[in-house]
Amino acid sequence: MTMTLIETKTLGTAAAAIEFTSIPQTHTDLVLLISSRPASGAIGVILAALNGSSANFTSRQIEGNGSSPNSGTSTTGRVGVVGDSGDTANTFASSKVYITNYTASTAKVISADAVNETNGTTAYQILYSTLWNNTAAITSISLTSTSGANFAVGSTVSLYGITKGSSGGVVVS
Amino acid sequence: MTYVALANITLGSSASSVTFSSIPGTYRDLIIVAAGTSVSSADDVRVYYNGDTTNGNYASVQMLGTGATAGSNTFLTAGVFATDRSQIIFQIMDYSATDKHKTLLSRSDRPGATVQANAYRWANTAAVNTVRIQMIGISFAAGATFNLFGIAS
Repeated sequence: MTMTLIETKTLGTAAAAIEFTSIPQTHTDLVLLISSRPASGAIGVILAALNGSSANFTSRQIEGNGSSPNSGTSTTGRVGVVGDSGDTANTFASSKVYITNYTASTAKVISADAVNETNGTTAYQILYSTLWNNTAAITSISLTSTSGANFAVGSTVSLYGITKGSSGGVVVS
Repeated sequence: MTYVALANITLGSSASSVTFSSIPGTYRDLIIVAAGTSVSSADDVRVYYNGDTTNGNYASVQMLGTGATAGSNTFLTAGVFATDRSQIIFQIMDYSATDKHKTLLSRSDRPGATVQANAYRWANTAAVNTVRIQMIGISFAAGATFNLFGIAS
């Protein structure tokens, strides 16, 4: 199996950040699957800090909210939607984050798809393209919310490693 | 979800296309992760199956954000590569089925310029055994990586 669970974190108490440290350098790509809800406040965006740095990010997004689509940019590490404390009870936002070639000595591109779940009020689906313009291998990831609110109890983040290889006789040319 | 690594290549020199052939039909879906840059400017990337490069046999629809505007179009594309860091993640559904046209969803990331999602169809019911990732007019630059995975059901 080439998709390997590295670690899952499930919050038993609300927390301002969810962190993965000492990420093994043995995979090709990383995937984060995030189920999140804020403990308080309005909707927030999930920001990633890599190797302790929140600098040198560029991000573009396209967003649908049930009316008109729009697009925007940011210089922060946007990778998901944390949700809104006013969202329908017991619903959590979902984000999938894909980081390619995380150990390579090139700038890192992050692809992220996110949606929050709610009834009766505006919900968002957002696609992010985010660049970390840093050539260091990624060894740690810290997730926080732009709203400053804590992640609520029950928020879960799983980190997977995906490893390239060859099998089955496939030919590449 | 079980990923099985089937093949990979890191381009040692620029190339206008990368082809995976002799793909076993034993998985449910295929995923290809392509990352790197192009040799010059920005150019669209297309996917061709089983040697069929007739564009009329394919169709796609795209939503695209530039950071200033959000739009949609039906120009045949599965993503874009440019001289700034780019990547495309392709997922080809039910590629070995013989009773349905082949559909592909792709996410194309070029954080310096665009974010895209594409749906792409091959109007053919044949099982896919060859996938060609093709830049339309220019080439992928040396160092670009292409990793193929099979997803078991």
